[in-house]
Amino acid sequence: MPDLRRSDSDSGARLFVVLLALSLVMFTMSARENGSGPFTAVRGGFMTVTTPIRYVGSMLTVPFQGIGNVVGNLTAGQETLSDLRGQNERLQAENARLREEAQAAGRLQDLLKLQSSYDLQSTAARIIAASTDSWSRTVVIDKGTSSGFAVGMPVTDSTGVIGQIVECGATSSTVRLLGDENSSVSAMIQSSRAHGVLTGSADGTLRLTLISADQSVSVGDSVVTSGLGGVYPKGLPIGRVLSVNKSEGDLYYSIVVEPLSSTESFEEVLVITSLTEGQKASADDIAAADAQDASVVSEAAPPADETDAGPKDAAGTTAASSAT
Amino acid sequence: MQVHDTNRHRRDSSLLALACLVLQIALAPNLALANGHINFALVFCAVISLTVGGSWGVLCGFVAGLVFDLCTTGPVGLMAFLLTVASFVMGMESRNRLQDDSSAAMILFFIVCFGVCFAYNLAMLLVGQASSVVDVLFLRSLPTFLLTSLTFLPFAYVRSRGSLRLLGLGAQARRHGGRRGLRKR
Repeated sequence: MPDLRRSDSDSGARLFVVLLALSLVMFTMSARENGSGPFTAVRGGFMTVTTPIRYVGSMLTVPFQGIGNVVGNLTAGQETLSDLRGQNERLQAENARLREEAQAAGRLQDLLKLQSSYDLQSTAARIIAASTDSWSRTVVIDKGTSSGFAVGMPVTDSTGVIGQIVECGATSSTVRLLGDENSSVSAMIQSSRAHGVLTGSADGTLRLTLISADQSVSVGDSVVTSGLGGVYPKGLPIGRVLSVNKSEGDLYYSIVVEPLSSTESFEEVLVITSLTEGQKASADDIAAADAQDASVVSEAAPPADETDAGPKDAAGTTAASSAT
Repeated sequence: MQVHDTNRHRRDSSLLALACLVLQIALAPNLALANGHINFALVFCAVISLTVGGSWGVLCGFVAGLVFDLCTTGPVGLMAFLLTVASFVMGMESRNRLQDDSSAAMILFFIVCFGVCFAYNLAMLLVGQASSVVDVLFLRSLPTFLLTSLTFLPFAYVRSRGSLRLLGLGAQARRHGGRRGLRKR
């Protein structure tokens, strides 16, 4: 009769305990690493070795990426088609207007060329893979340290900012997208210059936080990088305001931003390798952001402070002048 | 007669590991449900643990987890830890199953799969990568569990009808001497 049971020595209990301890040690050491260390180096090497496989995988799945759009188009209703026709007419009108403005801008650009100091120093790369795990929203690009890339460099595509390099191997780099939960970018509303922080979320939507409720924000406003922090150049487009909400008593708006860019495989991107002085936030920008914060703090202060400071008109005048 | 063919185990495991590695790197990033992706490391670990088990299963689980950790941006060692535990548990449970019971093996895999997915994401929550248990459960753990479970089915089917016939998942293996039917002493 065959023996259906293993001997106890083959249960792997001893090896199990050893590997359990080893993995715990690795986890602890890895969690304590901050951007550099043996595990980061090993991961970089692993990424380099597996880059060809990622590349092939992306190439093979490209034909299937359009299936969702095809199905959506086939099932589009009459209402959708009429909406699209209307949108097409609006876009054609806008296109004609923009052509006129482009010609005017071209003439102005020639005049400004002499004093132009906006020099975007960048290197082109290509997206070859998306995030492997369910936890992060990242893409892998086909260049790394051998092309002069480093951790922290901002990445844009033709329409605007898409993220920032978080890991860099010799021939590939991992870019954390704006929609990642751990992503946060200093941004501002282009029209009102209201400063805030753009953060990602688990469902991929972008939220612009820390815009005080006394600022002017409306749906459709453009959101651009503010340059605060010195990582992203000032003025790069990010997206448009999709919705603005504010509950009674809140100091800040709750703003959802629709990104301008989408990351598809084989899309070309630009990695900004260095910033010029003109691309960094100026002292005026920093002062404006500070003033915005100060106004929020003064709004949040309890009324008792005002009475403590003296008569309302005199104290109010003093507080306002010091805040601005 | 029971044939102890360790080299064949290792050769077949290596081929399966290579296939899962390629799929994990090339296919998993491009297939997503919500924030969930297929965990081919878990699939590999489960197939080996439910068929070969023992020290080899535990070792394969650890290595598969380590490779998964290197593929991601998370801390190295977390998935290695979880898959080591998972492979040990599946190896022990399958070892105690004397009857031909494919459904029990599948149920065991589903339980372990959900446990691994949830524990991984919960650990990420605890190290400060998220702020909501709802996100962890509904946007990450459940989609990953569903995709990985669906992916496991064809692997289990192919292996259960494979030339090795040493599965705890297939009927023939049991009839020819149980899970260790091809071992010789």
